Amino acid sequence: MTTSLKALTNLRWLPAALMACLAACGGGDDAGNSSPGSSAGLKVYRHSMDESPTSLDPVQASNVYANHVLINAYDTLFSYQYLARPYVLKPNLADGWPEISTDTLTYTIRLKRGVRYIDDPCFPDGKGREVTAADVVYSLKRHFDPATRPQGAWLWQGRIVGLDAWKEAGSNYDQEVEGLRALDDHTLQIKLVQPYPQLLDTLAQGYSSVVPREAVEHYGREFGIRPVGSGPFRLVSYDTARIVMDRNPGFRQEPVDLAAEGYDPATQGQYGLERIEGRSPPFIDRLEFQFIADASARWNSFTKGDEAQYTTIPNEQIDRVLTSKHPITLKPEYAEKYFFYAGMEAGFIFQTWNLLDPEFGYNEDPERERRNKALRCAVIKSFDWPARNDSFYGGIGTIFPGIIVPVVPEFDPDLSRVSVTRDVAGARKLLEDNGWNAANLPMFTFGTTANVLNRLMFEQFRAWLKDIGYPPEKVVLKQYATFGDISKAWKQAELPWVVKGWGLDYPDAENTLQLFYGPNSSPGSNDSNWRNPEYDALYEQSSVMLPSPERTEIYRRMNEMVIDACLTATGLARTRIHLWHKDVIALPDREIVGGFFLKYVDVED
Amino acid sequence: MEVLQYSLRRLVAGIPLLLGVTFISFLLMVYFGPDQTYQLLGKNPTAEQIAEIRAELGYDQPFLVRYADYLREVATLDFGNSNSTGELVTDLLARTIPVSLMLILPGFLLGNLLALLLALLAAHYRSRWPDKGIMAFSVVGMSISYLIVIIAFQVIFSSSSGLGWFPVRGWNVHSLAEYLEYVTVPTLATVFVALGYNTRFYRSVIVEELNRDHVRTARAFGVPPAKLLYRNVLKNCLIPIITRVVFTIPLIVISGALLVETYFGIPGVGKVTFDAITTGDQPVLKAVVGLTAVLFVLAQLVVDVLYRAVDPRVSLS
Amino acid sequence: MSVAATRRQSLWSKAAWKLRRDRFGMLGLAVVLAYFVAAVGVWLGLWATGWGDVAGGKWDSVSSEHWFGTNLIGQDIFQRSIYSISTAFEIGLIVAVLSTLLGAVLGAMAGFFSGRATDEFVVWLMGVLDSIPFYLLVAAIAFALEGNPWSMHVAMISTFWITTARLVRGEVIKLKGLEFVEAAHAIGVPEYTIIFRHILPNTFHILLVQSTITFVAAIKSEVILSFLGLGVKDGMSWGLMISESTFEVLAGFFNNFLAASVLMFGLVMAFSIFSDALQDALDPRQVS
Repeated sequence: MTTSLKALTNLRWLPAALMACLAACGGGDDAGNSSPGSSAGLKVYRHSMDESPTSLDPVQASNVYANHVLINAYDTLFSYQYLARPYVLKPNLADGWPEISTDTLTYTIRLKRGVRYIDDPCFPDGKGREVTAADVVYSLKRHFDPATRPQGAWLWQGRIVGLDAWKEAGSNYDQEVEGLRALDDHTLQIKLVQPYPQLLDTLAQGYSSVVPREAVEHYGREFGIRPVGSGPFRLVSYDTARIVMDRNPGFRQEPVDLAAEGYDPATQGQYGLERIEGRSPPFIDRLEFQFIADASARWNSFTKGDEAQYTTIPNEQIDRVLTSKHPITLKPEYAEKYFFYAGMEAGFIFQTWNLLDPEFGYNEDPERERRNKALRCAVIKSFDWPARNDSFYGGIGTIFPGIIVPVVPEFDPDLSRVSVTRDVAGARKLLEDNGWNAANLPMFTFGTTANVLNRLMFEQFRAWLKDIGYPPEKVVLKQYATFGDISKAWKQAELPWVVKGWGLDYPDAENTLQLFYGPNSSPGSNDSNWRNPEYDALYEQSSVMLPSPERTEIYRRMNEMVIDACLTATGLARTRIHLWHKDVIALPDREIVGGFFLKYVDVED
Repeated sequence: MEVLQYSLRRLVAGIPLLLGVTFISFLLMVYFGPDQTYQLLGKNPTAEQIAEIRAELGYDQPFLVRYADYLREVATLDFGNSNSTGELVTDLLARTIPVSLMLILPGFLLGNLLALLLALLAAHYRSRWPDKGIMAFSVVGMSISYLIVIIAFQVIFSSSSGLGWFPVRGWNVHSLAEYLEYVTVPTLATVFVALGYNTRFYRSVIVEELNRDHVRTARAFGVPPAKLLYRNVLKNCLIPIITRVVFTIPLIVISGALLVETYFGIPGVGKVTFDAITTGDQPVLKAVVGLTAVLFVLAQLVVDVLYRAVDPRVSLS
Repeated sequence: MSVAATRRQSLWSKAAWKLRRDRFGMLGLAVVLAYFVAAVGVWLGLWATGWGDVAGGKWDSVSSEHWFGTNLIGQDIFQRSIYSISTAFEIGLIVAVLSTLLGAVLGAMAGFFSGRATDEFVVWLMGVLDSIPFYLLVAAIAFALEGNPWSMHVAMISTFWITTARLVRGEVIKLKGLEFVEAAHAIGVPEYTIIFRHILPNTFHILLVQSTITFVAAIKSEVILSFLGLGVKDGMSWGLMISESTFEVLAGFFNNFLAASVLMFGLVMAFSIFSDALQDALDPRQVS
C-alpha cells in the first residue's frame, strides 16, 4: 500500500505526461504547417472581426462574416470593383457582361474558361475539375431545397421561371428548371418572371457562390466546414476563434488594372496601392481571420503589433485615437503606424413601431387609432439622435431623416430634418392634445438582445421618455439571449418597438424601401407590419424600373410617406474607421457583401 | 479481483445517477431550451419555411422519443452534427477538449499544490502570525470575483495600457514557448482565485488531522515535524483532498473554464458548450451533458477505489 | 425541558460571548450592518433614487455633483453603486434563506431516514444536480423559464441547497442515535415532530453558518451570471456595473469598475470574516 501511495504522491511523472499531451494536442494545424510567424518568407495577413461565421455553406451565408470567407473560397458570377465608391458591379466568374433580351427577361451569361476547383478528395482522382455553368445552376437550386436549410431563397423567390415549381415538385436536382439552365458548359441562361433590376447584384452575394455537386454529396452536413471552391484562397483550418486560408495556387491569373477597379488617386493615393498594378492576385500566402467578440480585446490584439493587422476603432477608443472628428484625423502616434479609412456603412440603424400592437398601432376603434398615431409621433420626437450618436457611435455617425440611406444614389440631402430633431415641447403637446397622460399611457416593452450596450441604450431611451411625461415604471426592458430569439419575437410580431440595424445587400434603395412593403409583413422583414396600398403600389411600380430620375422621384415619395406615418425613428448610418498596419497594402471594407477586398491585399516584406 | 467486482458494482449503482443527470439536463437544455429555428432562417422567411426548418431540427417529435434517441446517442457516442456549423460533434469535442485541458491543467495543479503548501505552513504555525497572514490573504482571495480578477489581469499583463507582455486573447499554440505565452495570464487568474478557497479547505483538513491523538503522541515521541507531516498527517488528509480534486475534474474537463475561455477567446469546450446552450444547438449540448454525467459516475468510482487504496479500513463490500 | 433544549441554550450563550470578544468578527458584522442600512434606505426610497437618470456627460470624472463620476450615457455611478447594494442584499437574502430552508428540510429527512428510500432519493438528487456544471445549469434554467427575472434565484437555490443538506444530513445521522431521540420514540412522538421539533433545532448552528456562506456565494455568482447575461434583469447590480465596465477599462475609464469591485469586495470580505467568527464561536470543540 505504501508503495502505491508513494507513486501517487510522487509527481515526477507529471511533466513527462504534460509534454506528451502537448506534443499530441498542440501540434500544428490541419496542414501540419508550423505557425506562420515562425516560417520564413510566408506573407501573412491577419484580419480581425467581431464574430465568426457559423457555417461556411453558401446557402447559409446570411451575414457579412460568412461572406468574408465565402467569396474568397468560392467564385461568384459578379463582384464589386475593389476601389470604386460608390460601389460598382463588375464581372467576376462571368466573362464580360451578360446578353440581356429587349424585354429584360432573359439573361445569357458566359463563364470564363479554364477556371478550376481546388484539388480535393471529393473529386474522382483528387484533382479539381473545371467550373461549369451546370455548377451555377446547381448552386442556385440548392436555395430551393429545404434539406439544405437555405437562407438566401428570398433573393430569387418568385423571380425565376420554374424554380418555385421545382421546389414544390420535390427539389430533384436531376430535373431541369426552365428559367435556370446551362446551355452548355460555359453558358448560363436565366429567364425571369418579371424585370428584376437587381438580379446581377444578387449574383455577387455570398449566397450565389458556385459550389461543386461532388463536394456537397461527398461531405454532406460537413460541407459547412469544408468549402471546396475556385476562389483565390482555400480553407486550411476553421474554429470559432480563427480561420486560416492559404492561397490557391491554381487561381486564374488576372492582372490588376487599378483604373478598372475604380482607383481614385486623389482620395486613395496615400495607401500605396500602385504596388499591385499589373500583378495577379492573390498576393499573400496566408490569410488569417481572428474572431474576437470583445471590441477592446480586438483593439488590444491590434495595437500589440504582432497579432491582428486590421481592426475598426472601437467606440470607446475613438476619443483616445482621434484628434478631430470633423474631418477625421488620427493622433500623430497612431498616424505614424497605421493607415485609416473612414467608411460610412451601407446601411443604417433605426427603430420602428409594430403596428400590429393595438396599444400603439392599428386599432378597431378609429379614435384610438388616431390617438395612437399621435403617441407614436410624440415618442419619435423624444428621440435624441445626437446623444445616441455620441454615446454609442463615437459621435461620428451620420444622422439622416427617412429610410433612404446616404450611401445610395437616390439619397436626398435636402430632405427636412424635422423628423430627427428632438422636440420635447412638441411631444408633450401632442400627448396632451390627444388625451394621453401618465395614467393611461400603455406599458412599453423594449426588446433587445442581452448585452451591456443594449441595456444602456434602453436606459437612455427610458430617460428620454421620462422627459416627455412617460412614466419610467411603464417602460420595461425585455432581453433575449440570442439574436435568434429576438428575431423570433420580431417575426411573430410580439414586440411593439423593434430596434434594428440593416445592412444593404446591394447598393439600391429598394433594399430598404422593401422594409415597409405590405406583403413583406411578419414573418418577413417588414417588422412594422404597415400596410398602405398606395405605398405598396408605388413599390411594385418601381421594383421593375431601372435606375432613372422617375424612379428616384417615386423612391423619394415613398420615403416621405413613411416619415409622415410616424412609423419609425430613423436613422443613423455608422461610420466605421478602419485601421491597418502600414505594412499592409489594401483598402479594407466590409460593406454590401463584405470581404471582397481580401483578394487584393498585399503585405510588405 | 475484488477491486474489479467492486468497480462493476459501483458502475451499476451509478446508472440511476446517469439517468437522472441525462433526464434533467435533457429536460432543461434540450426540451425547454432555445428554439434554434429562428437563427437558421434567412431574411424574409415564409411560414412554411419556418415549419420546414422546425421539422428538420426534430422539434415536432414527442418527448419520450427524443429522450430515447438521446440515450442511444450517449451509449453509441454518436451525436451527429452540430446544427450551427455542421461539424461532427465528436470531432468538435476532440478538437476542443484537449485545448481546455491544456488551459486548465497548469492552473489546477499549481492552485492545488500551492494551496497545500500554504495550508501546511499555516497549520504548522497555527494561530501565529504566518497563519493569520495566510488566512487573511485567503479571505481576500475568496472575496474578489473571478471576473474582476480576469479583467484586471488582462489589463495589467496583456494590454497596451499595462505591461503588454502577453497576448490579449487567442490560442495560437504550436510550440512550448507559445503555449506558455498564451496560458500564463489565464493560469495566473485561475490560481489567484482558487488559492483562497483551496488553502482554507486544506488548512482545515490538516488542522483537524493535527489535533488527533495519534499525531500528538508521535510529536510527544519526538518525531521531527517534516516526517510527522508526511507519514502521519498527509496520508489521512488525502481522503477529503482526493475527493475534492477528483470530483472537480469532470466538471473542469467537460464544461471547461467557461469564463476564461470566453474572455480570452480560447476555443475550448466550455465556450463551445455555452454557445450551444444559448443558441440551442442540441447535438452539442446532448454530447457535453451526457459525457459529463458519465465522467461524474466514473469519478465517483475512482474516488471509492482510491479510498480503499489510502485507507485499508474502508471495505469494498 | 429535554436535554436538547439545555444543550442548545449553553451553546448559544457561549457562542454569543465568544463572538463579542472576536474583534475582527465584530468589525465584519458592523460593516455588514452598515451596508444593510444602505440597502434598507434604498428600499424605502430614501436615497439612490436617481440611479436611472441621464444627467451628466459621457464618462465624467469625480465631481461634487457626481461623487464617482458618470457612465457612458451620463448616469451617476455613486447612486448606481448604492442601489446595487439593495440588489445584492435582495439576492443574498432570498437565496440564503430559501436554500438553507430547503437544504435543512431535505437534509434532515434524508438523515433521519438514512438508508431508506427517502435518503436514497435525496442523495441521488444531490449527485445529479452536482454533476451538472453550475453555469450550464443556470443558463439552462434561465432558458427554460424563458427569461423570468426569478430564474437566476431559482437556479442558485437549486444548487446551493446541496451543501447545507449534506451537512445537515451528516449531523442528523449523528443526532438520531442520541438518547433523547430514543426517548421521544419511546413515548410515541410522531416521526416528523421528532425531526422538526427536536432534531433540526440542534442543527441551527450549522444552518446559520451555512446561510452566511451561501449569502456570499450568491452575491459572487450574481456578478458572473450578470456578465454572462443570465443574471439581474431589472434594476442595477454590481454584476451589471462590472459588465458595463469591461469595455470601459480598456478605454482608460476605471470608475465604474472600481466602484462596483471595491463595494462588493467590502461586503463580501466583511461577511466572510463575520461568518468565520460565527463558525469559530459556534464550534463546540474550540474551548477558549
